[in-house]
Amino acid sequence: MATKKKGKTSRRVKSRRRASRWNWGRHLVVLIVLAGLVLGGYAIYLSKTVRVKFEGKRWAVPAQIYARPLELFVGAPIGAEQLETELRFLGYRRVDEVSGPGQWSRKGRRFTVHTRDFTFWDGPETGTAIAVDLDANGITRLVRRNSGRALDLFRLEPGLVGSIYPAHRQDRVLVKRADLPGHLVNGLLAVEDRRFFDHKGVDPRGIARALKANIQAGRAVQGGSTLTQQLVKNFLLSPERSLTRKFNEALMALIVESRYSKDEILEAYANEIFLGQEGERAIHGFGLGAHFYFSRPLAELELHETALLVALVKGASFYNPRRHPQRALDRRNLVIDQMEALGMVSGTEAQRAREAQLGVTSRGIAHGHRVPAFVDLVRRQLRRDYREEDLTSEGLQIFSTLEPGGQRQAEQAVHERLRGIEKARGLEAGGLQAAVVVASAQQGEIQALVGGRDARFAGFNRALDAIRPIGSLVKPAVYLTALSRPDRFTLSTRIPDEPVDMTLPGGQRWQPRNYDRQLHGEVALHDGLARSLNLATVHLGLTVGLEAVIDQLEALGVARDIPPYPSLLLGALSLSPLETAQVYQGLASGGFRAPLRAIREVFDADQVPLQRYPLTVRQAADPAAVFLLTRNLVEVTERGTGAGLRRYLPSNLQVAGKTGTTNDLRDSWFAGFSADRVAVAWVGRDDNAPTGLTGSQGALPVWGELMAKIDIRPLRLNAPAGVEYHWIDPEGRLASEACGGAVAYPFIAGSEPRMTSDCVEQRSLGGFLRGLFD
Amino acid sequence: MKRCSNAIFRAGVVGVLAIGLAACGAIPRSDRPAQVESRGADPVPRPEQRTPQIAAYTPPAAPRYARPAPNRAVAVLTARADDQRRAGDLVGATASLERALRIAPDDAILWNRLARVRLDQRRYDLVAQLAAKSNSLADPVDKDLRRANWMLIAAARDGQGDAVGAREARRQAARR
Repeated sequence: MATKKKGKTSRRVKSRRRASRWNWGRHLVVLIVLAGLVLGGYAIYLSKTVRVKFEGKRWAVPAQIYARPLELFVGAPIGAEQLETELRFLGYRRVDEVSGPGQWSRKGRRFTVHTRDFTFWDGPETGTAIAVDLDANGITRLVRRNSGRALDLFRLEPGLVGSIYPAHRQDRVLVKRADLPGHLVNGLLAVEDRRFFDHKGVDPRGIARALKANIQAGRAVQGGSTLTQQLVKNFLLSPERSLTRKFNEALMALIVESRYSKDEILEAYANEIFLGQEGERAIHGFGLGAHFYFSRPLAELELHETALLVALVKGASFYNPRRHPQRALDRRNLVIDQMEALGMVSGTEAQRAREAQLGVTSRGIAHGHRVPAFVDLVRRQLRRDYREEDLTSEGLQIFSTLEPGGQRQAEQAVHERLRGIEKARGLEAGGLQAAVVVASAQQGEIQALVGGRDARFAGFNRALDAIRPIGSLVKPAVYLTALSRPDRFTLSTRIPDEPVDMTLPGGQRWQPRNYDRQLHGEVALHDGLARSLNLATVHLGLTVGLEAVIDQLEALGVARDIPPYPSLLLGALSLSPLETAQVYQGLASGGFRAPLRAIREVFDADQVPLQRYPLTVRQAADPAAVFLLTRNLVEVTERGTGAGLRRYLPSNLQVAGKTGTTNDLRDSWFAGFSADRVAVAWVGRDDNAPTGLTGSQGALPVWGELMAKIDIRPLRLNAPAGVEYHWIDPEGRLASEACGGAVAYPFIAGSEPRMTSDCVEQRSLGGFLRGLFD
Repeated sequence: MKRCSNAIFRAGVVGVLAIGLAACGAIPRSDRPAQVESRGADPVPRPEQRTPQIAAYTPPAAPRYARPAPNRAVAVLTARADDQRRAGDLVGATASLERALRIAPDDAILWNRLARVRLDQRRYDLVAQLAAKSNSLADPVDKDLRRANWMLIAAARDGQGDAVGAREARRQAARR
């Protein structure tokens, strides 16, 4: 073995000697070719990465969700406080003298507002200076400030309420190169890359200068990486700091520079740069940065503000102006110093900017005012029509129905009432949860949505996902079914409130009781609902038939399977607050169901309209019967189970509503409506344990406080065609206004009682009523 | 370097094309549920369909019933919707009327006008519903408006091929 090996080796040595010169040359060529191939291949790979990232980045813009625009017109019931709230929400600045877009001033009852340009779904509107006069009832005068010409109608732009960003949680508001303020670009060049417009992606002179400056200053004041290199760094997602990485960065920077213009690179940089973090949401780009820190669009920022954004490039968390204001201020002023040193700003400008405060807004307003529950709803409605990746990357503009002021009132009502209830009843603090839905009564546009106590927290969305038994909230459907048969039932029909003892299909005995555990004998139908009598309702429901009640609920929009058991009549039906709001919207609109919508229009990133979600209605009940029911639900709030509302609402503010309570006091509900809004409130516990609260003790206060604070129009109850009012005595007989205890109730024409009260003679009554109501 | 990047450019073309194609197809524009409508175009009438002829409702010169004057903003939007409808911009007219309805949701005439635009768009089911809604809000003594609504319902039923229903609606209109 050993000999054999030795022989082989000696042969190899000989041949190597013979061909050594030739081989060296050949190896070199092969090596060079190989290296070239590897490098070339690698460059092609990098180039592809660059293109994918560079082009891709320009598209990866989350869908932006806008609130509804506020409409201004003479007669609009807008108070000074509401207008101020809206202007703050839009990030407009209050100034003494309005001089440009995004500013407002107020002198007494006169507001001056200079709006921003905005492209609405029906066309662009140019920013305009307007003057608005208000009195206690609303807008009294609306004119263009300069010409004094009257404006019939004017919209403020809608505010941003959120965006649908993808799984990697990058959020951004896209800006174009042309929209980057000059002082922002100058600041960026001054501290990050002075020779940006001259170098080819890598800048050896810049590195040397930065090194020198940093040594002189004794700390890092300048960076050596060009803007192009910094941009590329974000493309290579690995975080390590190695020589290989530096090499990759430099090579990619060269590739980027050879493929794209300086303006394109600057634009990509401005949209890519990381500027902050809020929970899981990463703030990318100067466009969103301006909203995030100043609640204003980038174009409106002044020198000291853009200088702060530039300062954050160095380290958004280290220089976080909300957490480390002094650090941020020092760094900002350093940016201004550098700009001054390079002659980009004058000494006076620089001095003024250095003296300015940071000016960072507190979180929770404008773009930071997040409404995760509502955004969740918008996202779910959009997902029926768009793919998830389109929502997170196509830069869609979503015009929603959210009313920011109403949303805030709903959040506050939940917050304050729950705390108050827990305190007053000695309940564990934080144990109660709640959900609220507010929609426009006639159109079904969702104006506010609260998914839980902590409205900023994007967790379990109770408004959509808490599916709970609705208890007595189902009763109006039972009474509506009965009132739709005027030949058999009217508001004054006597119905029995007597024991119920049934054997259910499963053999189980069912013996429901009234909440007060009493029997009330014969009661008027309207009393059964106003007092929420269980036994009277069961008798009524069994008389009209379970199937008829189920049909009515389905017509009102219940899409779930409805269990066909008698217990349904007392609310053994589980719905979410949103689904419940749909049922009550059908009642609030006089029997015309409008599918609840959170979206009006969708635009693509280039502001081309894609589609609209139009107003549609479908008749779900006889409008005359709904009118009678509404009168009955007003009675609930005036002297029935909902009378507690009067603690919150003035007595002349007529609203309709119904309380709901489920077994063992687990769920507390209140649903109701005014002429223009329908709202549902639910209070309960996430673990479904009893709360000890009835509908009037838990949900009613939330509902009442909310409706008291948002502007609502009272119900007027003018009888529609085919409905007549008649005076009825307590025994349900025709009476007159002069009769003691008589109340005027509406009847579908011809269904009024035949029996006449002793206190009045029929003939004179007929003439009297005709005179009164015709 | 320049030549190198040209080669790189060519090599990247395929990938970029792929991305471009993916991006072009990214936003679907069809298969919407019924309640969503495209902003772009109105449905083109099919030739065999008979266009129901019905005049737009105009309040009588001397109304028997003194209808309250609409808010100025509502009047402006109504006029705009009329212009848009005349110009064939039916989607725009719909949007203007919906905007007016947000200001005056109980205005029975606005619901009637919206029904009228929907008839132009041949959304027959919606026409009948909107006209019924207008009727439910109309003042009991505003007989002209109620008649106009029943005529819209009749036209919608005609469009749906429901001749019996249309006759019944016309009978209702005549009774007003």
